[in-house]
Amino acid sequence: MADFNVRSDSVNVEHVMEQIRARISEKRGVDYTEQQIRELAAVKLERFLDPRGVRSDLLDQFRKTQPAYEPPELPNFAFEDETLFESHRGPIRWIRKLLLPILKLFFNPNPLIQALHIQSRLNAMNAERDAKLESARRAMDQLYYELVHNLVIETTRLGIEVKNLKMRVESVSSRLEFNERRARALERVVVYKSSGADESHVQPASAPATPQPFTPPPSRSMPLQPAPSQPAPSTGAAPAIVQGQPAAGTGQGVPGEGPGQRSRRRRRRRGRRSGATAAEIMGPAGSPAPGPTAGGPARTDSTDPVDHDAEHDGAEPHGVEPRGAEPHGAEHHRTEHHEAGDAHAVAAEAAAQRADRASHPSEPPADSGPVAPTDPGPAPTADSGQGGSDPDSQ
Amino acid sequence: MKVAVVVQRYGQAINGGAELHARYIAEHLARHGEVEVLTTCAADYVTWRNELEPGVGQVNGVPVRRFRVKHERDPRLFAERSDRVFEQPHSLGDELDWLDAEGPTSPALVDYVAKHAAEYEYCLFFSYRYYHAYYGTRAAGGRAILVPTAERDLTVGLSIFQPLFRRVRAVMYNSPEERAMIHAVSGNQNVPGVVVGIGSDVPNSPQAGRFRQKYHIRGPFAVYVGRIDQNKGCNELFEFFQGYLNDPAGKLSLVLIGHSLLPIPEHPRIRHLGFLDDTDKFDAMAAADLLIMPSYYESLSMVTLETWALGRPVLANGKCDVLKGQCIRSNAGLYYETYGEFVGALEAIEQNRWLAGTLGRSGRQFFRDHYDWPVIERKYLEMFERLKTGAAATVHPLPGWFERRRRDLPAAREVLTRLPKGPAGIRS
Repeated sequence: MADFNVRSDSVNVEHVMEQIRARISEKRGVDYTEQQIRELAAVKLERFLDPRGVRSDLLDQFRKTQPAYEPPELPNFAFEDETLFESHRGPIRWIRKLLLPILKLFFNPNPLIQALHIQSRLNAMNAERDAKLESARRAMDQLYYELVHNLVIETTRLGIEVKNLKMRVESVSSRLEFNERRARALERVVVYKSSGADESHVQPASAPATPQPFTPPPSRSMPLQPAPSQPAPSTGAAPAIVQGQPAAGTGQGVPGEGPGQRSRRRRRRRGRRSGATAAEIMGPAGSPAPGPTAGGPARTDSTDPVDHDAEHDGAEPHGVEPRGAEPHGAEHHRTEHHEAGDAHAVAAEAAAQRADRASHPSEPPADSGPVAPTDPGPAPTADSGQGGSDPDSQ
Repeated sequence: MKVAVVVQRYGQAINGGAELHARYIAEHLARHGEVEVLTTCAADYVTWRNELEPGVGQVNGVPVRRFRVKHERDPRLFAERSDRVFEQPHSLGDELDWLDAEGPTSPALVDYVAKHAAEYEYCLFFSYRYYHAYYGTRAAGGRAILVPTAERDLTVGLSIFQPLFRRVRAVMYNSPEERAMIHAVSGNQNVPGVVVGIGSDVPNSPQAGRFRQKYHIRGPFAVYVGRIDQNKGCNELFEFFQGYLNDPAGKLSLVLIGHSLLPIPEHPRIRHLGFLDDTDKFDAMAAADLLIMPSYYESLSMVTLETWALGRPVLANGKCDVLKGQCIRSNAGLYYETYGEFVGALEAIEQNRWLAGTLGRSGRQFFRDHYDWPVIERKYLEMFERLKTGAAATVHPLPGWFERRRRDLPAAREVLTRLPKGPAGIRS
């Protein structure tokens, strides 16, 4: 909480709490209550992620809980013109009919009969209409229920998807940032290489070799070619390598160090690098063995990044890039964000080893011998016994 | 001036909030006049068993007159009656039955007050919720002054206490929140009242290093002082703090001081030291980076005030209106209502030394301005002076047999939910 904007003799607690709440909201996106969080935590995520869950049997269960609608048996009556005078006894019915004219002397029952008849029909019609309306309402209720249920599920699923996308955006942006830093670092290397002073400073290392023009970066497959076929000292790649990596060295081993150990370390280092970009860019510059020229080995060994790797093994992948050319954060990113690149590098390494074994069946496996990849092109391809030219093998 | 302090329990070893409050007030008022304490023979607030001898004795130079409790509390009966009056519509008789079941039922104490009230200029009744306060204030008539120590709990929603708040001569509140709540529930705005609270005898130079050495405590830590109980919010505290412990950036440990009624989580950074004497307690507060006060219900947290007196910040439960109000008024503590706020506030105090220091300084100043003993004593004496001119309220007799059995009173919970919430001044 070092970023509180309260810097006075007194403090406003409410203001501090607002800041705290704002930070919580930033972290969570939405300031859920504890109750909401508990409810969310209690729900199984799979239920929302499973697309089949959208059409669940919830509606069926809803129908089961609600019995089918049956219109109630409303009381009604049938009222016809004879209803008033009906009787199960025939004589009585006959007497009533006989006395009907006398009754009509007192009042006229016909309007009453008619009204009651109409009322009876109205009752029946209303009951029928109510039953229809109720049935329709229940059907609509089920549809609404299903609709709301599906909407809730879809909304939840979309929420989760948005969260995932946000995380992916964060991941991609961090990768982008790392790659930008890496690109800047490499640009500095190129600038450094092209300066005349540096060339003159580095030339002694490549002096014994045949002078060669600056070799453009090799293709992606270049670093995958193994070293055993490389006649190191006189290759044209050596000056380019030394020019390209004046300070960081080129991955030569420490004198007295076993070749297998060195190759393992190199593989580890490659493994830590980012994916294709790192393999592509760094491979040619760092991998080819520059060849221990007469005056070279001692100096290159002193700046060998392998030494740094040995110190920081498993912690920070220094090495191929010049130290200080990249902020510390970039190293962290390198180890953190490039698992895919790691896999790619390992696969490439394995391919390189297979190619090596295929071209030099008599050579020992990569693990048991020097693995300095070679630079193709003007370099001699004959197997000149690189073991003698490799300081590691001496 | 002769004053009676009437309280449910009293003694050197009795450390309940209201009881300690009463003892401090009695001892400090004794410097300005004659004070006698009227209390029961009970020492345990759960059973009210008669454990102390009746009669007159002395505690720290203050005469104490004890009366026997008629019957102990029956927990089952009390629970039944509590459920009835708190959750269901009920009658006045139900509430009086509840009061009798709650205790400490001491008719002898009430009789003594009725007979001898005239010998005292004022009778200070502590804790409105108990038998002695309800019947004692009736017996003391115009001499009764109430120190309610009311919290926002269900008891305040009972109907029998509303006339109590209105009939006393004056009310000495602990906090503006308490005053606002009692005004809302009883409408006793006409009764003279003042927010007083209580002071504390905080040592001038507590030995933080001695505490760390004695209990082998290293590194920064937060301290909780009080009974370790679910009612005090300790369950939530444990839950939140265990979540905080998962944060690798957090370095604070939690030190618990007090008797425990809960299992303490087993973690290397949670230490329970049990009950400590005042010296160790104040040393612990001085050594701590902050005090955490997780209680939901407080009328006045003395330990919070003591922490402020020692210049340390406080992290309080914001669900308690009083604690939140105190933090806001003093600008000396942060508060939380959710886990996120708990961790955020804890990290703020832990990682921002300036903030922690400023909160502590504000707390020390707040204590000096409002809770130093001269301030407290002056407020009491001024109230006594003020009451010399005023007229006492009329004490109405209790309703008759039929009136008491009319089930027309709402459940206490219903009354409580209608009361305004939040710190005084920003209440909802």
